[in-house]
Amino acid sequence: MKIPSYLKKVKEVNWTKEQLVQFQLDAKREWESGSVLGPVHLSKGNEEQLIEIFQYVHPDDWVFSTWRNHFHALLHGISPDWLMNEIKRGHSMKVMNKKHNFVISAIVGGPIPQALGVAMALKRKGSKRRVWCFVGDMAFETSEFHLCHKYAKNFDLPLQFVVEDNNLSTNTPTDVTWGSKQEVPDDVIHYEYERGYPHHGSGNWVLF
Amino acid sequence: MVDKLTKQKEDMQKFQETEMLKHLDLKYKNEIIRSMEWLAKKDDTIFLGQAVKYSGNAMYNTTKTVPEDKLVELPVFEDVQMGMSMGMAFEGFVPITCYPRFDFLILATNQLVNHLDKINIISEGQFQPRVIIRTSIGSRIPLDAGEQHTQDHTQAYRNLLKRVDIVVLDESDDIFPAFKHAYERQPLSKYDSLVTLLIEWGDHYNAK
Repeated sequence: MKIPSYLKKVKEVNWTKEQLVQFQLDAKREWESGSVLGPVHLSKGNEEQLIEIFQYVHPDDWVFSTWRNHFHALLHGISPDWLMNEIKRGHSMKVMNKKHNFVISAIVGGPIPQALGVAMALKRKGSKRRVWCFVGDMAFETSEFHLCHKYAKNFDLPLQFVVEDNNLSTNTPTDVTWGSKQEVPDDVIHYEYERGYPHHGSGNWVLF
Repeated sequence: MVDKLTKQKEDMQKFQETEMLKHLDLKYKNEIIRSMEWLAKKDDTIFLGQAVKYSGNAMYNTTKTVPEDKLVELPVFEDVQMGMSMGMAFEGFVPITCYPRFDFLILATNQLVNHLDKINIISEGQFQPRVIIRTSIGSRIPLDAGEQHTQDHTQAYRNLLKRVDIVVLDESDDIFPAFKHAYERQPLSKYDSLVTLLIEWGDHYNAK
């Protein structure tokens, strides 16, 4: 994983890999209890990459995420108690937190244009803050990514893309559907990982 | 038989034109211009779209008197434009996002229906972006712009949108109050959307 040289570390991350894994195990236990009446998308396998990336994410920056957002939320400073409560309420795939400038979308590519708009607003205001947009490998191949990456680059907007590549969109292999994958631009952070949990749920049968 | 059909067609056309003329209002375009000038005086407004700064369609004639630093001419990427408008609203701007024809607005349906219309619900009122969306039903008189430039999807959008306020600008006297209300109205609850879709009639422009 290459971090572009124009990015500087702005903080120490106070989460360890083990703590992140444990948080998801706790969420898994809640899910398997049958009391969570909504889909849950658990994270596993990308803890180290995200801990490194979030050293560059200022607490005042905006973070745009996806349905699989728990690690992003925790590493951006959102309280684990608050997040676990959201998961228990069945809100795993709609974690939104205005206080922390944290936005998600459960539509592939959905957050990308919104992230672009925030970046444009920040630039017009002369703000030093940055927008971080985390996308999966299928979203990386979409027109939304191409359009917004091009626009942000051409107008020098403070928008940083991170591609989290597990080569799966739900359970569809991205490279199979496209025949291949596009090259990663120099200004895009890209890492590969193996998904530690299924697309949603824990892999175990749950009775509701 | 042919003569009879031709006569029927002529009568129908005459009837349509007569009916249309009854509704033409010479104040229509000027009221839109007055509304845009009023909105342009607000510190937080910004005008986005294609042909807001450069000529190319009737809507351009209504933003000509808006200060240039308030106008952002965008490429043709309707869905990105809608998401971008939403993102700018997250940072406190009030975008007036312009789609010269309803036929083009439907290309922004993902961001409008899945995101902007639902953000208050998904975020439980944490995010209440104020966005003013302009579109126009393309004119048929004196030139008929054809099937891809004159569609009216008002009813379809009334079915699709749960929270967005949809206003059809039939009368000139309704225009300024409608834009003023779109800018000023306060939410009645945290689930109340501050997004307004204002639908203009291209044929009413042509009377000026």
